[in-house]
Amino acid sequence: MIKVSHVSKSFSHGKNAVNDLSFEVQPGETLVLLGTSGCGKTTTLRMINRLLIPDQGEIFIQGKSISTETPETLRRNIGYVLQNTGLFPHYTVLENISVVPQLLQWDKTRIRSRALSLMEKLRLPPASYAYVYPQQLSGGQQQRVGLARALAADPPILLMDEPFGALDPLTRISVRKEFKLLDELNSKTIILVTHDVEEAFELGSRICIMNEGRIQQMGTATELLFNPANDFVRHFLDKQRLELELKSLRLRDIWPYLDGAGGMAGTILSADTNCWDTLENLTRDKASSSFRGEGKHLDGNILMNAITAYKKTVSQHGHA
Amino acid sequence: MDTPETFFDFVRQQSGKLLEQTLTHTGLTFISVLIAVCIGVPAGILISRRKKLAGPVLGITGILQTIPSIALLGFMIPLLGIGPKPAIVALFLYALLPVVRNTYTGILGVDPNITEAATGMGMSPRQLLLKVQLPLAMPVILAGIRTATVINVGVATLAAYIAAGGLGEFIFGGIALNNTHMMLAGAIPAALLAILFDWGLSRLQRLNMRKARKTVLVLPAVLLLLSSFYLLPDTYSTRLKAGFTPEFMGRKDGAIGLGNVYGLHLRTLVISDMIMYKAAYEKKLDVISGSSTDGRVKAFDLVVLKDDKHIFPPYYAAPVVRQALLEKYPELAPALDQLSGTINDSIMTELNYRVDYLKQNPQQVAKDFLVSARLWKPARNGTKGTIRIGAKIFGDGYILANMYKMLIEGHTDLNATTKTGLGGTKIVFDALVNDQIDMYPEYTGTGLLVILQAPQQTVDSIIGDSKKVYDYVKKGFAEQYQVRWLQPIGFNNTYALMMRREQASRLHISSISDLATYVHHH
Repeated sequence: MIKVSHVSKSFSHGKNAVNDLSFEVQPGETLVLLGTSGCGKTTTLRMINRLLIPDQGEIFIQGKSISTETPETLRRNIGYVLQNTGLFPHYTVLENISVVPQLLQWDKTRIRSRALSLMEKLRLPPASYAYVYPQQLSGGQQQRVGLARALAADPPILLMDEPFGALDPLTRISVRKEFKLLDELNSKTIILVTHDVEEAFELGSRICIMNEGRIQQMGTATELLFNPANDFVRHFLDKQRLELELKSLRLRDIWPYLDGAGGMAGTILSADTNCWDTLENLTRDKASSSFRGEGKHLDGNILMNAITAYKKTVSQHGHA
Repeated sequence: MDTPETFFDFVRQQSGKLLEQTLTHTGLTFISVLIAVCIGVPAGILISRRKKLAGPVLGITGILQTIPSIALLGFMIPLLGIGPKPAIVALFLYALLPVVRNTYTGILGVDPNITEAATGMGMSPRQLLLKVQLPLAMPVILAGIRTATVINVGVATLAAYIAAGGLGEFIFGGIALNNTHMMLAGAIPAALLAILFDWGLSRLQRLNMRKARKTVLVLPAVLLLLSSFYLLPDTYSTRLKAGFTPEFMGRKDGAIGLGNVYGLHLRTLVISDMIMYKAAYEKKLDVISGSSTDGRVKAFDLVVLKDDKHIFPPYYAAPVVRQALLEKYPELAPALDQLSGTINDSIMTELNYRVDYLKQNPQQVAKDFLVSARLWKPARNGTKGTIRIGAKIFGDGYILANMYKMLIEGHTDLNATTKTGLGGTKIVFDALVNDQIDMYPEYTGTGLLVILQAPQQTVDSIIGDSKKVYDYVKKGFAEQYQVRWLQPIGFNNTYALMMRREQASRLHISSISDLATYVHHH
């Protein structure tokens, strides 16, 4: 869907540079660019919708180099969500959401019905919010309007630059949850930039860890955690390692190492439940799970032992 | 014509003229602001995109702003003549800086997040400008237009100096004639206009925060409407065109007398004394109301028309001094009176010519004359006291004030300072009465008609006799203001109508009666 090929970009002030970057994003995938500030992740994002022009290399969308199109046409087909929302203060919520369809010259009734239906989906009841101005909304609501604006013309690609960065921690978590559940996003190819490790692991199908303008490692959550490519990746994740591991390992991943044969009791958990949620369950109640017709009962010891065994195998063989 | 009793009588009597001046004033203000917006906003947009140009453009408009308004109007005359054109151009130049600067800062002040969002959504640079930058910068741009408008309401009063009309006609006429009602009839509406426009634009500005896009359309419409008040007067005419000073326009011995006694009615523009002679020389005007001893009469080869029906009263110059001062320093009067009888009309014209046209230093001219009249003595640097000598802004005043300073310092142990350029009669006389100056040279006719405002019968009975006029003002000043008239200097700086010598001889006009006859038949 999106192919970034040997792209470099440098700035006179020396920061935010990108050095010989190459990666591909599959259709429907959410790729998270993760790194500290100044690592070049936002620069990368801004090159994809041509807000910046690469010094070297090329970017392709659906096999077509983006430099062959006018920037306006390109951008109108890419949803863009900014950290500080960038909502137009002189436009109402409805007008803000309608911006891109208007640029694409949709007819008025179509724009209106699209904008209203998006407001419904994003829990912004049009009756109360259609004609208010952005500054009258809370931060979480503003962010949802920003998302609605990016989705309005139903673009196949969505670029998100720290979309939850300006929210307080509690709002951030709840907006993120809603975001995950939004079916508008299911079919989209998304590139999301963040410096928040937890957010990256929660939202990304794959994660690309960047440092000093280069990709350090790109892969799924478990690949990054249990098979780090270098010390940078290892150290980068160290602080939250336990929580990340528990959240990214599902029962099915460690199934062979679970030593709790027979005896289904308490809450029955799906094998797709991650270890974090399983532990949380175990603090309240007995729990068990079944996978491929085999039932196992669970407790804290069984779970922890299985995780340890899993990690040992992975570090020895490179895979489970 | 009697002087109206109260301010409201004056306004009622002159309501037609007042309305016309107010409309002209409004039109002048807005037509220039409109042009400034049409040029300044695009210029501001341009420099917000090409930042290298910002410094030079803002610098140049800033320098234009620092040029004194009357000087800027003066610069316009050789380029654009007199009348509305140079006034509008000058006002436009004044309005330019606030409009350009505020457009520039307004656009740069738009949150970069918002412009990035707009670009990222796929807006073209033009859409970005029209849909986002201009609407969001609009309050700042409007503030600039507000500033420009208020500045221009003020500066537009000066347009009366170059025959462009407006409320300045009343203001400067009032100052020149010592007529407070007339002055206020110009000044109050001018102030009200400034307040009104400022308020109106502030309303528009507040309205705009929400309905930015509508304002963009409303504003030009409003500006256009207000500009249309100023219908450019027809500048082309075969008839003779007269330019009179504001003072001359309202005086019994000026334009009013010309109408009553000679039946002379010319197409008349109000114009500043400073540029009137040059405008006549450059054929922008045909008949002007000069003063007979002005150096520029000689410089620009003008000819004075004979006042064959004697409407211009005698204007013999003499020093007027505060009585108390003469008593305190008895040696002062004899020192000053030495000048009496030494300067006749042609000598005064010559002296003025040297100062006004040859640009010689008035001090030097004064000294040369005193030396040649054997009156000059080196300054004694006395410390007995200081005499403050005032003068009006006309050439006579500068030279005479300098002569008096030299006479006082050379012949007494007193010191003297000069405060020249005190505007018209009202300003300098008020300064004398309020003890801000001690003396200044005044004309008998001005004393009679402007300061004492003698009743019509009295004026009629004494006006033909210069000695009677002198005696009347001397008595009146002493009684009413404790100010004494010393001996007349000798020359008679009376009003005079004048024309270009070439035109006057071609049309066979040598007196005001000839002129009236000519105008009547053409």
